Amino acid sequence: MTDERSRGIARGLTLRYLGASTAILAASGLLGVVLRWSQAVPQARVGDNFWYAMMTAHGLGTFVGWGAFAVMGLAWWVLAGVGFPTRGFGLAMARTTWWLMVLGVAGVVVTTLLMGFGASWVFLYPLPFFGAGAWGAWATGLFSFSVLLAGLAIVTWCFGILHTVCNKEALHAVSDNVFKRLGVSLGWGYLMPRTFATNPKPVPYAVIPLAVIGIDMIIATLPLAGLLVWQILQSAGWVGDANALFAKNILWWFGHPVVYLLLFPAVAVYYWLIPRYAGRDLVAGHVIAIAWTVAVIANVLVWAHHIYLDYPQGTLQAQINTAMQPMTFSLVLPSALSLYSLGFTIYRSRFRWTPASTALFFGLVGWLLAGLSGVVNATIALDVAVHNTLWIVGHFHHMAMLNIGLLIFGATYALLPELTGKALYSERMAWVHVWTTFVGGMLFFGLWLVQGLDGAPRRWSVLPSQYDTITRISLPVAFVLAAAQLLFFWNVIQTVRGKSGVATFDERGIPEPAAPPRGWTAPMAEAALVLVAVALAMAFAVGGYLVGRETGGGGGTTVTVPAGGGTTGGGGSATGDPANGAKLFASSGCGSCHTLAAAGAAGELGPSFDGNPRLTEALVVARVTKGKNAMPAFGDKLSEEDIQDLAAYLLQSAKK
Amino acid sequence: MSHTAVIITVAYVIAVVIGSAISFAIWRSTTRPLDEDRAGTWSLRETAWLVVVALALFALLLGTIFYVPYGKTAGPDKQVVKVVSAQFGWQIDPALVRADRTVEFLLQSRDVNHGFGLYGPVDERSGDAGPLLTQVQIVPGRTGRLVWTFDKPGIYYVRCLEFCGKGHQRMDETTGGRIEVRRA
Repeated sequence: MTDERSRGIARGLTLRYLGASTAILAASGLLGVVLRWSQAVPQARVGDNFWYAMMTAHGLGTFVGWGAFAVMGLAWWVLAGVGFPTRGFGLAMARTTWWLMVLGVAGVVVTTLLMGFGASWVFLYPLPFFGAGAWGAWATGLFSFSVLLAGLAIVTWCFGILHTVCNKEALHAVSDNVFKRLGVSLGWGYLMPRTFATNPKPVPYAVIPLAVIGIDMIIATLPLAGLLVWQILQSAGWVGDANALFAKNILWWFGHPVVYLLLFPAVAVYYWLIPRYAGRDLVAGHVIAIAWTVAVIANVLVWAHHIYLDYPQGTLQAQINTAMQPMTFSLVLPSALSLYSLGFTIYRSRFRWTPASTALFFGLVGWLLAGLSGVVNATIALDVAVHNTLWIVGHFHHMAMLNIGLLIFGATYALLPELTGKALYSERMAWVHVWTTFVGGMLFFGLWLVQGLDGAPRRWSVLPSQYDTITRISLPVAFVLAAAQLLFFWNVIQTVRGKSGVATFDERGIPEPAAPPRGWTAPMAEAALVLVAVALAMAFAVGGYLVGRETGGGGGTTVTVPAGGGTTGGGGSATGDPANGAKLFASSGCGSCHTLAAAGAAGELGPSFDGNPRLTEALVVARVTKGKNAMPAFGDKLSEEDIQDLAAYLLQSAKK
Repeated sequence: MSHTAVIITVAYVIAVVIGSAISFAIWRSTTRPLDEDRAGTWSLRETAWLVVVALALFALLLGTIFYVPYGKTAGPDKQVVKVVSAQFGWQIDPALVRADRTVEFLLQSRDVNHGFGLYGPVDERSGDAGPLLTQVQIVPGRTGRLVWTFDKPGIYYVRCLEFCGKGHQRMDETTGGRIEVRRA
């Protein structure tokens, strides 16, 4: 059993993980709002590469730095709660994890937002080495190192978890054999009570998903660590190219299980907290142990469902992909059984509805919805219609925010009083937060599903104009969603500061509201103030957009193509400023398609500037302004002067 | 929307309505709590639920597995179109094909992973790209093959559906991703 000292240790761990991850949510969530804002409002548009750099930071920040980190922290408190103390080697690993994760996330922030690394959180090899002038080898090396730190954090956490769940006393295991103890923690005692004997009671259900993910994430992360080390070496110039298709498989070998690094500890929290609020034990048959055994195996054998549409000739990828559709389907079973168990635990119970338990319940609904859209993605024939569209973005936001996110919020409201000994600052503020997050999230993420079904591509800084209407509709919803999170942060800060006094609990261990809410309380006033401030900011933003559009000249820059009178052909001089042209050449990415030795550019897609007899100022200006075939038009991106400067630079520096 | 997208929409909406109804029922059920303990019965029924879910998934597997896009052949009358993708544009040769005759796209990348997303035909009134018809990934160092038959003439757009860097959103119909389909 866990004594007071062990509980103190677990309390410290969970609070540190929750504190850091909540801070990361605040920063990376804000990036998410800016990303959608930039897509919706042309006047608020950020530079393309900065958009992608923010997308990279937002993805890693919210998914790993917030979602994973928070549930990894909650795991320590759940384990202490069901009688498993974290100590010795396990404790050392738990503490190491915190530092590795915080340093890793900090490194990601620096390399993306400051150094411009924008290859997305999946950094699909070899993209990190093709920055098109936006980032260099240093950024790639440091980014890879930062992600490696976060990956190692996952591995050390797994070791800490496995050490803790294999505790013989806590398991009441009969055997000393470590594999038998691991079997007990995986729930095999429910299936084979003699081999995996316990005395007197079987393992608590909440331990099983933690043991499963503890094993799987070690298997999943080590190959990715290898790829990251390769990227570091390659960025230093010590090794050459890796095989792109193999690297893609390695990435998803990690990329699928890492989703369950969020889900499985979350399930442990559900298994532990839902029965508390329902006032009855978890309704679960032995069959649930079968589902988790399926999970521990299938979880690391389904990676290819992320690359269903990769089947180049002369490879086995099509066969691998086909085999992984039924494997992926089998992973539905632990979710389906868990939802059944948790649903029946609540069904006709004396469930106590608080903001915490409501968030947990909404989290279960979010899990169901994300699961249903996930089945679509898992089906090859259907994936063709939605792969890499905004449908996927809608799917995983349902999963990350409306399942895992709401679980983290619910667990925070439920556990902060027992972790800090202080009463929740405002129950009402929590109610507003939970309901707004669920309803706003359903709407906001649902619009992504709609856009995706209409073919809207994902990871486009600027969407094709046909999708603009829904993007603009979604923007106010994004603001409301973000505003609701401000209530959460404020509530947590005020709780930790002890603004509502000492926590009290009912007989089930559920925290009591600090004071019966009566009418117009101070917290309500604060909540209203936050909402009004955000509403005003929104009004200003929309107003600014409208004013900007009015005064912006009614759309589009008028471009006049010189009629060829100013200069003659044959590589003569031009009127612009070549120094500025050189900068534009680099910043516009001309070199990725064209060859210009003077700029170190060796692109081959478009015509070379070197040794090109047709190169004239008029031609450059016309092509850059209006584009032709594969050459994009820059008339709306560069000013007339800029284009003149660029032409001057090309004519001056191209080899004749 | 493509036919597949319509099927997904209908199926997902039905599933969400059923899921929401069940969630709502569970929520409201707590207003009339049970005093007797039925946990034993419910635990036993969990096995039945497992069978139901497994059968449903098996049905979905059987119903869809024959529609995987792998291993299609183009036949002797095919039109071969070579597609070269690179940061940030397309070279499609030839960019003019005939309707109702199978097209075999052979796809390569000069640099990073790209995604060949085929949209169309362009709506002449609104100028919008048509629905997303099909897609395939292009892996550097390999040749991908996509077999497709256009049944309607018109202009089709190719947009990049794998993130490829700062100009990813420019890899569309303005940078070479354009195919014209004419009646045979």
